[in-house]
Order: sequence, then structure tokens, then C-alpha cells
Amino acid sequence: MVTKTEETQLNRLENQVDNGGGGAWEYLCLVKKLKVRRPDKVLRHGLSILNDPKKRSALGPDVWTLYEQVSIAAMDCQCLDVAKDCIKVLQKQFPESKRVGRLEGILLEAKGLWAEAEKAYSSLLEDNPLDPVLHKRRVAIAKAQGNFPTAIEWLNKYLETFMADHDAWRELAEIYVSLQMYKQAAFCYEELILSQPTVPLYHLAYADVLYTLGGVDNILLAKKYYASTIDLTGGKNTKALFGICLCSSAIAQLTKGRNKEDKESPELQSLAAAALEKDYKQRAPAKLLLLTSALKSLKTS
Amino acid sequence: MAEDLVLDTAIRDWVLIPLSVVMVLIGILRYFVSKLMRSSQVPDPKIVKEGQVIVRARNLRAGANFISPKSFRARRVYFCNEENGLLHVPKGQAQNAQAQMFSDPNMAMDMMKKNLSMIIPQTLTFAWVNFFFSGFVAAKIPFPLTQRFRSMLQNGIDLSTVDVSYVSSRSWYFLNLFGLRGLFSLILGEENATDDTQRMMQMSGFGFDPSKSLGAEKDSLDIIQHEWALPKFEQRAETVLKDLVG
Repeated sequence: MVTKTEETQLNRLENQVDNGGGGAWEYLCLVKKLKVRRPDKVLRHGLSILNDPKKRSALGPDVWTLYEQVSIAAMDCQCLDVAKDCIKVLQKQFPESKRVGRLEGILLEAKGLWAEAEKAYSSLLEDNPLDPVLHKRRVAIAKAQGNFPTAIEWLNKYLETFMADHDAWRELAEIYVSLQMYKQAAFCYEELILSQPTVPLYHLAYADVLYTLGGVDNILLAKKYYASTIDLTGGKNTKALFGICLCSSAIAQLTKGRNKEDKESPELQSLAAAALEKDYKQRAPAKLLLLTSALKSLKTS
Repeated sequence: MAEDLVLDTAIRDWVLIPLSVVMVLIGILRYFVSKLMRSSQVPDPKIVKEGQVIVRARNLRAGANFISPKSFRARRVYFCNEENGLLHVPKGQAQNAQAQMFSDPNMAMDMMKKNLSMIIPQTLTFAWVNFFFSGFVAAKIPFPLTQRFRSMLQNGIDLSTVDVSYVSSRSWYFLNLFGLRGLFSLILGEENATDDTQRMMQMSGFGFDPSKSLGAEKDSLDIIQHEWALPKFEQRAETVLKDLVG
């Protein structure tokens, strides 16, 4: 997750470089450090550095990392010839390197030659069975082919060894959600919450999954997680506010007749509704009428 | 017996400073040599997995209060189960770790290389110091010491009446040995092979590292009481919203 200061710094550098000021190299280093995805800008500014032999020699040994970065950005933008040229330069310099082998595999992927790419990765994996990037590329191939069960299988095997990799858990959760395997997705989101309890995104996603699963217990749990999201974001997350209203009305519907279990936070729903109205008044006054009628129907149902 | 000995300034010029300079240079030399000699270590899958298991168990402990009691208990059983829990190390295996370490040829070679790069320069420098810089008082330590330190700090000086604060160059060597670590981390960046003292401390507790930490994690997980924090969050959300709306 990128922090706020880093984000402002990135935007500032981006503006500076786009408008012709210097600092392309710092911008590229920052992009690489933060692992942000900006392929077109990286491609443009990276090529401007690489095509200028003076700037190239000024970089010294860092020029090879720049080649790698630019080749990946080129593949992201589908400029495959640029990518091929960069990889050729790297191959000449580092003939037996596994990093370059990885880039070749990604190039095969970008061309859509899935079988060859998978073969390349398997052979690389035989030599380095513990390279996380190679495993993840294989999962990406399966996912790109639409072969979700295989992707899940590969990802699970990867996670058996590297179980502290929260990006992998997140990917697995998203795949499960897209396949509507909500129980497994809930498990993955729990892992994410465990490793990073202060990130409201995971609480929100977990709450969504729980609400979708349905059943009184799950909806009660979902309400709690929507509340924690509100707490972590200071009440600004509209989705969580809506979630609270929906959960409360769903619980009221499901527990009709039984005595109300809502002893913990009776005012939460009305407060959430009020916060939503205030937010809409500020940001989208045209839709305020829609909102009030929707909330009314939720309350009465 | 508190007379002050006047030490020649030539001692400072020709003993203390050259000794420090030589040690710094030797340290830098060792750093580069170790960088050249370092073979790329193929990570062992079992060790990687154990490391990750420990991180995940630690995350479980840290965030235990954020997930529901049922899921926490399920995970705890997964980790600490007597038969096939992840953290459970059967008794027989625990002892083998160290023996296995020494029998594994690659690791033994690695350790020997590291040891050599550490021991040889130390021994040589020590011998050099003893040969050239012994037999005279090199410095005066600013605080008083007991008589016990005499044998350690005053090796070349055969007068038993000299105050223990007056030390020979051997103690200056030791002072530099331990003290230049900070200087090296400034010059050479964080990871440098001159961290002898750290290495010495690490070597004593090496072999048990994986299985011991697994056992420690298991114990701490067993102890933990689950105190669910989520209900509190509902009330906090209420207060937050009250502030926002009201």
C-alpha cells in the first residue's frame, strides 16, 4: 500500500516530468520502488533515457535495471518490438541469467503463446523451485486463459510454501469471489485481516462476502465489519455506510418475531443513514431524492 | 599511587592512529573479499516454508482479536494440533537439526568460509600488534579499574605497580575491534561481513534456530486468549458517525 506522502511525491514528479522538466530517472526509480503500474509513462520516459547514449552512460550499472523496467512496461503497452529489443540487449549482457529468462517468458505471455510460456516457466522452475515470481507468472497464465481451477490449484500450492505472502492471498480471494466460492474467499480475507488489521479495504471486502453468504450470523458479523471499516476510515466510506443500512434492515427482516438482537448499537443505522444523506447533499445533491426514498424503504421493510 | 605518567605524544602519532587506520583498511578489504567469495545460496524449501509459517503464526497472534472466535480457533488447531499441526515439532527431530547442519556439505563449507574470513585477519592483526606494539604503555583509560584487569590489559608491561588505567596497545586493538562496527556500518552500508561480534553471538545459537522458534511460536499461540474486538468497533463507529453528522 502506498502512503499518502509517497503518492503526492509520485504525482508531483509525474507532473514535472510530463511537462518537460527533468527528473525522469528519479520518477522511474520511485515507480519501481512503489511497484506502481504506469506503463505508458515508464515506457515514454524510459525510452527517452535509453535512446540517448549520453544519459545511458550516465546511469552506469543501473542501465540494466532500466532495460528490464522498460521491457516490462513495453509488454504492458503491447509494444512487443521495443520489448524484444530490450530483452536482446539484456541477453547479450547476461547470457545465462534467470532474470532474463523470466523476461523472455513474460514476452511469450504477452504474445499470447501460452503453451510456450508455460514450458519456459516450468523449465526455469526446475532450476529454481523457490522463485516466487515464477510461480506467480504461472498462475497469471492460467488466469489469463480463463482456466480458474488450475489457477486456484497453482496458487494454493504456492501458498503452501509461501504462506505469508499477502498479495497472493488477495489474488486468491478475488478469484474465489469471481467464482462465487464465498466461503473460501472469506477464509482468504480473514488471512488478510490478520496480517494487516488496519487496512479498511480488507474489512470492507470481508463484510461484503459475509453479507453475500447470508444467514443471520453472517449478516451480524458483516455489520460488525462494516462498522470497523467506518471506524478505520473516519466515516467517509460510502459503501460501508450503505452496508450498515442494508445489514440492519436484513437483520430486522430475518429476526422478525424473535426478540431483537440489536442491543449493541441501536442507533447505528439511523446515524449511518444521516451520514449518507449529509454526504449526498454535499457531493451529489441531484441524487438525494433517490437516496432518501431508498433509505425509507429499507427502514420500513 | 596516583602519579600521572606523562606519555609521549609520539605514541599517539605512531601507535594509536596507525593501528586504527590499519584496522579500518583491513575491515574494508575483508568486506570486498567476502563479497567476491560469497556463493549464491540456494534456499532450502523446508527452511523457507518454516520461516513463512512463523510469520503467519505471528500474524495470527497479532491480529487474533480482529477475526471471529470460530475462525481463530480453527486456525489455532491448524497450527498447534498435536499430530499434524504446522508448528508441532516431534521430539526426535529437534535434536537432529544441528547434526544435520554439520553433515550437510554445502552449509559446512559456507560456514568454514565465513569463519576463515573472520578468523584469519583477526589472528594476523593480533599477532602483528603483539609483535610490534608491545612492551610499553600506550594509553590511559579515563576511569579507574580493578586489579583484575591487569593481566588482560597490560600484557607487555611487567611492572606490577603501574596503575591499571595505563594499558598496552593490545587493549587498544580490542577497543577498535568492537568499536569500529559502527563506523563500518556507516561506510559500507548495512550488511557487511565485519560484524564479527554479531557473528560470534549468532554461532552459539545457530543449530536450534528453526525448531526452537517453531516451538516458541506454538507455546505463545497456545497461551493466547481470544478477546474479540469487533463488538467494540460498532460502538466506536457510532461515535465516529455522531461526530460526523452532529
